[in-house]
Amino acid sequence: MPHINYLDKEIAFKIVYYGPALSGKTTNLVKVFNKLNEDVRGELLTLSTAQERTLFFDFFPMDLGQIEGYAVRFNLYTVPGQIYYEASRKLILDGADGVIFVADSQNDRIDDNVDSFRLMCDNLASYKIQWREFPIVFQYNKRDCISPTPVGTFEKQLDLEEIPVTEAVAIRGTGVLETIRILSKNVIRQFQI
Amino acid sequence: MSGTEKLPKEILGDLVVSTGSLTAMLVSKEGHLLAEAGDISYLNSATMAALTAGMFSATQEVARIVGEPQFSVMLQQGEKRHIHISLVTGSVLLLIVFEGFSKVGMIRHYAKKVSIFLAESLAYLDKPVQRSQVEKKEEIAIPTFKEYALNLIDQIFESDD
Repeated sequence: MPHINYLDKEIAFKIVYYGPALSGKTTNLVKVFNKLNEDVRGELLTLSTAQERTLFFDFFPMDLGQIEGYAVRFNLYTVPGQIYYEASRKLILDGADGVIFVADSQNDRIDDNVDSFRLMCDNLASYKIQWREFPIVFQYNKRDCISPTPVGTFEKQLDLEEIPVTEAVAIRGTGVLETIRILSKNVIRQFQI
Repeated sequence: MSGTEKLPKEILGDLVVSTGSLTAMLVSKEGHLLAEAGDISYLNSATMAALTAGMFSATQEVARIVGEPQFSVMLQQGEKRHIHISLVTGSVLLLIVFEGFSKVGMIRHYAKKVSIFLAESLAYLDKPVQRSQVEKKEEIAIPTFKEYALNLIDQIFESDD
């Protein structure tokens, strides 16, 4: 449910990049940020450790423009991927209107992806959100790695059915806009007051 | 200061004047900015709201770990500027930025006092009938809204992969 400020005529949607450690969540966010026009994007905020791993979250607001007299904004967040930041991940998912799940296509990360996706579903359930009825895009990132996990693997293993799937090489900026575009449109399609 | 007859923004404005603080903001725990007053020229409101909510949520986890249901107030002391964050309702935070640390007692007193009015005002606005009277808002035409939004998304995220 987006935040609607009727007084100031603003509608804000929250989009979260979720996924296992080092799958490319921050890279997705930064590449999207870099590709957007300056008049659309706000300030990029990154809270990283000395090793440039996400400590709490990365964030930037994006102004969609005026629609029906309302200023429409998308607030984009990433969660920290490392196992011990579970509490932070759950907090950041609170109030999310859609999630981009960034999976690591490297063969030895299959279990990490599956575990992370299931944790995400549990976290959403704790906010009374059924993930199958929620806007999610599943992104196979790092498609340039050696012997990437074939597309179709996680759809089968996680029973993704209707969930849109994209492929990306986020480090090169490939597929990042397509992913956020599909998710944003699904968020809007599900919007109701 | 009064309660339901004032909008949250007006209550925040009164608070800023009464305490001589720089800025006052209302933020949802999901990180959305609900209202603001005072000088906002020196900060990015959207970023500030996201960070405030994150900081407060993290602190609530710390409270839980040490066996407290919640910490209702957070205070950060800088060299010149300080921030006071307090719970207005279970899901709304009040952030006050102020200078002169000796004011902290007054800030705390006013934060507590206006929280009651803010909670009343927010609850009042949450009721659809009153809300429409206060705002004289026009209903959002959802189909039109969606059509425009979908077109804008296609334009903004036009793929150049």
